[in-house]
Amino acid sequence: MFLVIGVLAVAFGFISTTHTYTVGEGLYRVGISPGAPHVRDARFVFTVADALTGQALLQARALDLYIDGTRVFARDDAKSQYALGAIKRVLDKYEVARVNSEFEIGNAFPLRIEVNYLTPAGDVAPDLAATLPAAGATDPAPAALGEPATRATDADVRKQIEGDTTLPELKSGTDKQIIVPSLTTPPNPFGQVILAFLYILPVFFVSVFFTSGFMDEKMNRRLTILLSAPITPLQIILGKMLPYVLFALAGVVGMALVTQVDPGLALIIFAPAVLFIFGIYLMVPMLYRTFKDTTFISMLATSVTTAYLIFPAMFSGISDLAYMSPVTLAVKMYRAETFGAQEYLFATVPLLLIFALSLYVGTRVLNEEYLMGYRPLFRKIADAIYLILNRAHVNASILALSLMLIPIVYIAQLVALAISLNLPMRVAVGVMLLIAASIEEIAKSIGIIVLHEHGYVRSTRHVFALAFLSALGFLVGEKALLFVSVSAVAQSNLAGALFNTGLLPVPLAAHFVFTSIVSVLVVRFRWRYAFALLAAVLVHSAYNALLVGGIQ
Amino acid sequence: MNAFFAIVKKELRAITRERTILIAITIQLFIASFSSALLIGLLSFYDPEALAANTRPNLRIGIIGNTNSPLNLYLRNARMRVTAFDSAAEAEAAFHNRALDLILYVPDDDPRSAVEMKMFLPRSEMLSSFIMIFLREPLKRYENFLRRERGVTVNYTDLGGSPATTFEFLYSVIVPMLMFFPAFVAGSMVIDSLSEELETHTFETLWSAPLSLTMIFGAKIFAALVVAVIQIALWLALLRLNRIDIQNLGWVFVLATLTAAINIVLSAFTATSLRDRERSQFLYSLFIVIMASASYVVDFAPMQLITRLATGDYYSGGWDVAKYALVLAVLMPVLFRAARRLITV
Repeated sequence: MFLVIGVLAVAFGFISTTHTYTVGEGLYRVGISPGAPHVRDARFVFTVADALTGQALLQARALDLYIDGTRVFARDDAKSQYALGAIKRVLDKYEVARVNSEFEIGNAFPLRIEVNYLTPAGDVAPDLAATLPAAGATDPAPAALGEPATRATDADVRKQIEGDTTLPELKSGTDKQIIVPSLTTPPNPFGQVILAFLYILPVFFVSVFFTSGFMDEKMNRRLTILLSAPITPLQIILGKMLPYVLFALAGVVGMALVTQVDPGLALIIFAPAVLFIFGIYLMVPMLYRTFKDTTFISMLATSVTTAYLIFPAMFSGISDLAYMSPVTLAVKMYRAETFGAQEYLFATVPLLLIFALSLYVGTRVLNEEYLMGYRPLFRKIADAIYLILNRAHVNASILALSLMLIPIVYIAQLVALAISLNLPMRVAVGVMLLIAASIEEIAKSIGIIVLHEHGYVRSTRHVFALAFLSALGFLVGEKALLFVSVSAVAQSNLAGALFNTGLLPVPLAAHFVFTSIVSVLVVRFRWRYAFALLAAVLVHSAYNALLVGGIQ
Repeated sequence: MNAFFAIVKKELRAITRERTILIAITIQLFIASFSSALLIGLLSFYDPEALAANTRPNLRIGIIGNTNSPLNLYLRNARMRVTAFDSAAEAEAAFHNRALDLILYVPDDDPRSAVEMKMFLPRSEMLSSFIMIFLREPLKRYENFLRRERGVTVNYTDLGGSPATTFEFLYSVIVPMLMFFPAFVAGSMVIDSLSEELETHTFETLWSAPLSLTMIFGAKIFAALVVAVIQIALWLALLRLNRIDIQNLGWVFVLATLTAAINIVLSAFTATSLRDRERSQFLYSLFIVIMASASYVVDFAPMQLITRLATGDYYSGGWDVAKYALVLAVLMPVLFRAARRLITV
C-alpha cells in the first residue's frame, strides 16, 4: 500500500510539472475568421467561422467572442465581457511574440527601464544624480531609421524574451534590473504554491494511517497491553509515529528529486510542516469516539492545516506575513531566491511549538480511562485539559496553559476570520470581534473552570489569583508572538489587523477583568459556563469596539 | 416500505445527534470562503487590471530628464500625479520628504535607438511590487507609442472587457467544489455507516429482521443522498444570496445530485468489498483525489459540465446530464448483486 502512495505522489508531481494548471478550462467559446491569429489557451474553445456566421453565432450566444482579423467582437453581457478581458491578455502575448519575430529588437522593444532602489534619508544612499547620464553626453553613434543603434540593454531584453516572457520578479537586491513593460508579468506564486502543496498532500495520506493505527489499537484493546508495558507514553507515541514520519520525509526527498531542487533544503523547509501535521493528527484519535467522528474530525484537521499552510504563501512577495507558512520558503526555493534564519524561524517555530504541545498533551491523556470513555466532545476536551494540568502545581499550570493555548487561539481566529468574510463587511467586523473575544475568553477561563469542577479552587480569592495568572500567561504569549513578528518581519501591518495584537494591545488589567468575570460567575454565583462566557465576551467586545473606535 | 424509512430515519437521526454533519458543513463553508474570499482577493492583487478597477491609488511621480514626453499623459490618464523636476537633486529631496512615491528619469526620445529609462523605487519589497503593478499599464501604452514611432504596429491594444480572473475562479473552482463537496461527504458517510455495521457484526442482526439486503442498502444510500441533496440546495441558495448567477439551475442541481448518488453507490460497494473502514476510507480518498485531478484533464468530467451549465454554455444541457443518469442506472443493480454475493459469502 505504501508503494502505491509513493508511486502516486511521484506521478502527481510529474503531472503537475508537465501539465500546466489552468483555471477555467474550456470556459469560453470563440469564433475566429480564417485569417485571424491562431492563439492557444486552454480556457478557450476555438471554432473557425466566416464573418457572417460568426456574428450570427455571437448574437445567438453560441459564441462568446468573434475575432475577425484584427478586430474582436463581443456582446454586452457579463460572460462575453469576461471573455474579452481574458482574450486581451492572450492576444497581448501573441502580439509580443509576433513583433519580436518580425522586427529588430531595438524597434520591437523600444523601452527599457532600469530599476533602482532608494533608501530612506539618513542611510548611505547611492547618489541618484551619479547614476544618471551626464548632461550633454552623447549616445552611441546614431544609425539610420529602421536600423536602431544597438544598446547595452539589448542583452537583457534577449534574455527576457528567451525566458518565454515569464520574468524574474522584483527583488529588493542590490543588483539592478532591466524591465521591459510588455515582457513583465506581475509576480504570481500560484504555480509554486501548488507545487509546494504537492509536498504536503502525501503527508495527509500517511497521517490517515497513523490515526487509524491508534484507532485500531483502541478498538482491539491492545493499547491496554501497551500501556501496562514498562515504557513511557512518550515512547509509545513517538514509536508509533516514527515510521510514518520517516515515510513522509522520504516523500519530501522524492518530491525534491523529481522537481530537481536540493533535497536537503526541501527537508529543512518541510520537516517542521510534517511534524506539525502529525501533531495535529495525534490529537484526532485522542478526541474521537466513533468512526464517523474520525472521518469528520480528520477532515476538519486537514482543511484547517491546509489553509494555515497554503494561504499565507499566496502573499509571497506582497506581504512579509507570508512567512507565517514554510510553504512561502518553498516558493522562494523554487524561485531560486534565498531566505534568512529569521524568516525560517518565524515560519517554523510556531509549527514546532504546536507539535511539542501536541506531544505533551498526548502523553498526558494517554490512559485507558480517557481513551475508552464515550462522552460528549466538549467533556472530552475538558477531561483532556484536566489531565494536562499538573495538580500539584495548580497556579503554575494555569499560567502555562494559557501560554500554550496561544497558537491554537491564533489558528481558531484565522478560521473564524475566513468564515466571517462571507458576511457583508460591516457585519463581518462585528462578528469577527465577537468571535475573537469568545475564543480568547474560552482559552483563558477553561482551565480555571475545569479545576473548579474537580474541586481544586479553594476560595473566591483563589479564583482571582488564577484569573490573574491566566491573563498574565495569555498576555505574555500574545506579546511574545507580536515581538517575534515585529522583529522578524519588517512590514507586518497586516499581522495587527489579522490577529488584533498590534491593533488592540489589550493590557493585562483588561484580560484579568474579563477572565475574572467568567470565573467568578461560575465558581461563586454558580452560573452556567455558557452564560458566564457570554457576559465576559460582551464586556470584552465592548472594550475592543471602544479601542478600535478610539484608534480611528 | 415502513422498514425502509425506519432505517433512513435511524441513519439521519444518528447524523444529527452526533452533530458531525455540522462539522461537515462548517468544513465546506470554511474551504469555500477561504478559497473564494481570500484567493479571489489575492488573485486580484496580481491582476493589475482588476486592481486598477477596484482601487485607484494616486501615486505621486517625479519626472526628471525629458519632462514633456507622452508618458506624462499616459500616467495622468491612469490617475497618477506627475510633477516635473529640473534636477535630480530636487526630485530626490522631494522623495525624502515623502512628497513623491517614485522618480522616473526619462531620456529624450530618439527614434533611432531604444529609450533607456531609469526608475527609482522605495526599498521595500511590498511597496515596489505594488507600484510596479500600477505602473505596468501606462508604461505599456508608452512602449506602444514608441513602437508606432518606429513603424511597428501592435494590434488588439484597445480591447475592453472585464478582468476575468474572479469570474473564472468562481465558476470553474468554487461552484463545482460546492456542488461536489456534499457528494464527497455523503460517500464517506456511507462507508462509515456500512463498515461500522460490518465490523461490529450488527449488520447480520439488521439483516435477520424482515428486511431484504437491497432494502437495507437502499435505505442507507437514500439517507446519505438526502443529506447530500439538502447541502446542495443550501449551497445553491447561498450562492444566490451572494448574487452569484447560476444558469441552468435545475440541471446543475440534478447533475450534482446524480454525481452524489453515483459516488454513494461506489462508496457502498467499496465498504462492502473491503469490510474494513480504514482501508475503505483510504481507497476512497485516493479515488477522490484521482478523480479531482482527472477532471482537469478529461473534458466530459462533471466538474467542467457544472461550469458550462452554470455559465450558460450554448452547447451543454439536459442531454449531457442524462448520461450521468444512465451511469447510475447501470451501477445500481450491479452494486446490489455484487453486495449480495459479497455479504452472503
